[in-house]
Amino acid sequence: MMKKKIAAAALSAVMAVSLAACGSGAQTSAPVASGDQSGNAAASDGSNTLTVWCWDAFNIDAMKKAAEIYNREHPEVTIDIQETLAKDIRTLVQTYAVGGELDALPDIFLMDDQVIAKYIQNYPEVFADLTDSGIDFSQFASSKVANSVSNGKNYGVPYDSNTVVAAYRTDYLEQAGYTVEDLTDITWDRFIEIGKDIKAKTGMPMLTNVQGEPDLLNMILQSAGISVFDENGNIALTENEGLKEAAKVYLTLVKEGILQEQTDWSGYQGSINNGTVVGTINGSWICATIMSTDQQEQSGNWAVTDMPKLNDYTGATNYSAQGGSTWAISSSSKNYDLAVDFMKTTWAGSTEFYDSILQDLGAISTWLPAADSDAYNQTSDFFGGKAIYAQIVSYGKKIPVVNKGLYWAEEKEAMGIALAKVLEGSADLDSAIAEAQATVEFNIGQ
Amino acid sequence: MKRLRLAVTYLILAVASFLSVFPLYWMIAASTNNSTDVLAGKLTFSTNLLANVTKLFAQQDVGRAFANSVFYSVILCALSLAVCSIAGYGFEIFHDKIKDCLMSVLLLAMMVPFAATLIPLFRMFTAVGLQSTWLAYVLPTLSTPFLIMLFRQSARSFPTEIVDAARIDGLNEFVIFVRVFVPTMKSTYAAATTVTFMNAWNSYLWPKVIMMSDKSQTMPMLVANLSSGFSIDYGVLMLGVLICSLPTGILFLILQKNFANGVVGAVKG
Amino acid sequence: MAKPTASLHKKQSMIGWAFLMPATLLIVAMNFIPMLQALILSFQSGIGNNLNWSGISNYIRLAGDSTFRTALINNFVYLIIQVPIMLILAIILAVLLNSKDLKLKGLWRTAIFLPCCTALVSYSIIFKTLFAYDGYINTILLNLGLLHERVNWLGNTSTAKIILILALIWRWTGYNMVFFLAGLQNIDESLYEAAKIDGAGPVKRFFTITMPLLRPTLLLTTIMSINGTLQLFDESVNLTAGGPANSTLTMSHYIYKAMFEYNPQFGYAAAMSYVIFILVAVLSFIQMKVGDKR
Repeated sequence: MMKKKIAAAALSAVMAVSLAACGSGAQTSAPVASGDQSGNAAASDGSNTLTVWCWDAFNIDAMKKAAEIYNREHPEVTIDIQETLAKDIRTLVQTYAVGGELDALPDIFLMDDQVIAKYIQNYPEVFADLTDSGIDFSQFASSKVANSVSNGKNYGVPYDSNTVVAAYRTDYLEQAGYTVEDLTDITWDRFIEIGKDIKAKTGMPMLTNVQGEPDLLNMILQSAGISVFDENGNIALTENEGLKEAAKVYLTLVKEGILQEQTDWSGYQGSINNGTVVGTINGSWICATIMSTDQQEQSGNWAVTDMPKLNDYTGATNYSAQGGSTWAISSSSKNYDLAVDFMKTTWAGSTEFYDSILQDLGAISTWLPAADSDAYNQTSDFFGGKAIYAQIVSYGKKIPVVNKGLYWAEEKEAMGIALAKVLEGSADLDSAIAEAQATVEFNIGQ
Repeated sequence: MKRLRLAVTYLILAVASFLSVFPLYWMIAASTNNSTDVLAGKLTFSTNLLANVTKLFAQQDVGRAFANSVFYSVILCALSLAVCSIAGYGFEIFHDKIKDCLMSVLLLAMMVPFAATLIPLFRMFTAVGLQSTWLAYVLPTLSTPFLIMLFRQSARSFPTEIVDAARIDGLNEFVIFVRVFVPTMKSTYAAATTVTFMNAWNSYLWPKVIMMSDKSQTMPMLVANLSSGFSIDYGVLMLGVLICSLPTGILFLILQKNFANGVVGAVKG
Repeated sequence: MAKPTASLHKKQSMIGWAFLMPATLLIVAMNFIPMLQALILSFQSGIGNNLNWSGISNYIRLAGDSTFRTALINNFVYLIIQVPIMLILAIILAVLLNSKDLKLKGLWRTAIFLPCCTALVSYSIIFKTLFAYDGYINTILLNLGLLHERVNWLGNTSTAKIILILALIWRWTGYNMVFFLAGLQNIDESLYEAAKIDGAGPVKRFFTITMPLLRPTLLLTTIMSINGTLQLFDESVNLTAGGPANSTLTMSHYIYKAMFEYNPQFGYAAAMSYVIFILVAVLSFIQMKVGDKR
C-alpha cells in the first residue's frame, strides 16, 4: 500500500512537470483588449443591434420603453435585452476581463451602485470612457454620478433613484393611535419610544431587515454624514463615535423587538406583503415591492415619509441613500457611437421617457430635468392619494455625501458580523467593532 | 416476528417518505397559490395555478429553456456514461499496479473547488475558440473520477468467470464489455444515469460563463431569473422550480425498476 | 506455455489502456491543467489582474486568517456530524428497501430519492420558511409544549448549524441510498440462502454478508461525501448566506467571496483551494488505505 502511494505521488509529480509548460504559457499571456471576432460574442457585430444586460422586470421594462421611444426615430435599430442577474453580471464582467474576452460583453450593461466603483477601479479596460461622449452629466444628481466617476472621468449613466424613504401602514399606526405626521422629521430616540408603544399595542414590529446585511445601519450612517473610510480610503471603524451611536440605535431596535430580523429577502418581502410588519425603511425602489402584494386591503393604507435622524449627532439629517444602479457601455462595443446616441436621446435626454417609466413602473430617475415634469406631481392611490414622487425627489436633494471606498463590501459584511455577535451576546460592541476593523484591514492588506 | 419486522420497516419507510415528499408537496401546493400566500407558508392548494402559468410563460421563454436543458443534459449524460463506464470497466478488469495508481491520481481531480479552476478553464476554451459551442458545455464535466470509480467499484463484484467464459467463446474484449457487462450492470447504469443527468441538468455557473449568447438559456438560469429582483412573485417562482425539478424525478421513477432484486443472480443462473 | 500467457496478458493490458484512455485524457485536460494553473496562481498575489509573484505569502497569510479558520472548523463540524448520520441512514433505508416481501417498492424508493432532485432555490426557501421565526416548526413545537417561546432558528449561531446539517441529511440521504441500492443488487442472493441454512439471523447476515460486500460502495460514498462536505457551497450560500456571524460559512463559500464579492484576490483564493485539496486528498487516501482491499 505504501508503495502504491509513493508511486501515485511520483506519477502526479511527473504529470505536474509535463503540464507546467502548457499551464504557465496560458497563465502569463496578457489579456487581449480587443481580441478575435469569433462571432460567438454576445456583443453584436451587426451595426444596428445593441445588446443589453440587465436584471429584474423593473429594469427590463424600463429598457424596453427606452427602446420603443428610440425606435420611433430610428426604426432600423434593435435593442436586444438579455435578462442577466446582477450577480451574474458581476461574475461575467470579471471573468471576461480576466480571461481577455471583452468581446463577449454586451454593448450596454447595468451594474448596482454598491459595486460599480470597485469594478471601474479594478477593470478599467471594461468600461468605455463617456466623459466627452456628449452626455451631459451635470443634469444628473451629483451624489449618483459620483458612483461611476474615476480619476475625473465618467464611466456610467446613472439610472434609478436611491433616495431612502420610510414607508408605514397607516391603518396599523391608527390602531395604536398614531399618524404618519408623528413619524415625520423625528429622531431615532423618538422612533424607539413610538415603536415600543406600537409593539405593545399591536404586537407587531415597526421594521424588518435581512440579518447579516446591515443596510439599515448604512442608511443611518449616511443620513448623518458618517464615513467608515477616511479621506485616504483607510478603514475607520474604531474610535468612530458616529458609527458607535448608529450601531447602538440598531441594536436597541432589535433588542426591543421593534426591528425583527429575517433570514433573507423572501422573509423580508413576505413580512411586508403579508402585513406582519408596520413599515420599512429602504431605497425608494422598495415602493415597487410594497405594491406587489396580493392583499387588496393594503392599497391606500401605506404612506411615505422621511427616515428618523441620528438624535443630536452633528450633521444628522432625515435623508439617506440605499441601492440603485447605473448603466455602463462596454469599451469593446463595436457600436459605441450608436450606444452613446441611444443613451443620450433616452436615458439622458427624454422627459417623455422618464414620465412614462414613472407612470408605468414607479421608476424614479436621477435625471434632474425629469423632476420638473408634471408627472412627478401625480398622486398614488396605493399610497393614500399622496404625491409621493415629488416627495421623494425633494428628499433626494438633501442626502449627505460619505466616503464609501473600494472595500465597502468587505466593510459591510464585517459590520454585519459584528452586530450579530453583539446581539447574540458573544461580544460587546467595542470589541466587535475592533474585530470588524481587523477583518477589513486583513482584506485590504492583500 | 417476521410480521413485526415488516411493520417496523413500513413505519420507518413511511416516516422517511413523508419527510422526503413533504417539501415537494409544498412546492406543488405553492405553485397554485399567489405570491403573498406562498410567503405566509400556506400549505393548501388554491386556484392561482392558471394565473401563475400565464405569468410564467409571458415573462420567460420556458419552452426554449426546457429544450436547451434537455438537449445538453441528454448529450452530456450519454457521452459521460459511455466514456466513464468503459474506463471503470478497464480499470478493474485489466487492473495492474500502474492502472490502480492512475485511478488514485485521477481521483485528485475532483478535490479542487470549481471556483478555483473556473478562470483557467475559461481561458483554455476561449484560446481554442470553443466558447458558446455544445462542446464547451459538455467537455469539462464529461469524464468524472466519480463515475469512473462507480463503475470500477461495481465491476469489482462482477464475476470474472463470465468474462473468461466469453473469451473462450472467442468474443473480443469490446464485445464482451457491450454484450456481457453492460446488460448485467443495469442497476449501476441506472444510478449513474440518474446522478449524471441531475448534475448536468442543474449546472449553472459554467454554462453561464462559457455560453455567451442568450440562445443557450437553460432551466436553472430561468429559475434564477425568477428568484431575483425587488418584488419576486413566489407563486410563479415555485411553478418554475417545479417544472425544473420534475425531469430528474421522472427519470428516476422510470429507472428505479432496475433496482429490483437479483439482476446478477439471474445472469449467473 | 508461459510465453503465450505473457503476451496475452500484455495484449489485454493494452486493451485495458485503450478502454480507460479517453476518460483519462479528458480529466487531464479539463481538470489537471486548470488545477496546475490554479497552483501557479496561488504563488501570486494582488487585486484583479494586477498579479505579482509572491512566493508562499498567500499561504502564510492564510495561517493568520481568522475567517478561514472559522470556515475550516465549520466544514469539519459538518463532516464529523453529518456524513456518518447520512451514510448510516442511507444504508438502513437501502437494506429495508431491498427486503424481499416489501410492497410498493418503487413508490418508497422514488419518494426517498426526491429531495435531491428538488431544485436548490425551492429547497432553501422551504427550509427557511419552515424554520422562520413565525414558521411552522416553531408553531408545532410551541403547541406540543416542547418550546416556551419562538426560536429564531436560522438567526442563532448554534441552531443555524443544526438546521444546515438537517438540510444536508434531508437532501443527500436519498442520493447515497441509490448507490447502496445499486450495490446491493450485485450481491449474490445464494449467499443469504446459505447463511440462513447455517442459522444466521438477519442482523448477523447484515454484518457478515451485506456490509463486507457493500464495502466498495461504502468507500465510494464516503470519499464522495468527504469531498462534497469539505467543498460544501450551495447550502452555505442559499440557506444561511454563511451567517449569522459566519457560523455556517464554508471554505468554498469563502473562496467564492474572495473571488467574486470582495476585491478579487485570485491568488489568495487559489491558495485556499489548495488547502481544501490537500485536506480532501489526505482524508481520501486514508479511506482508500483502510477500505480499498480487493
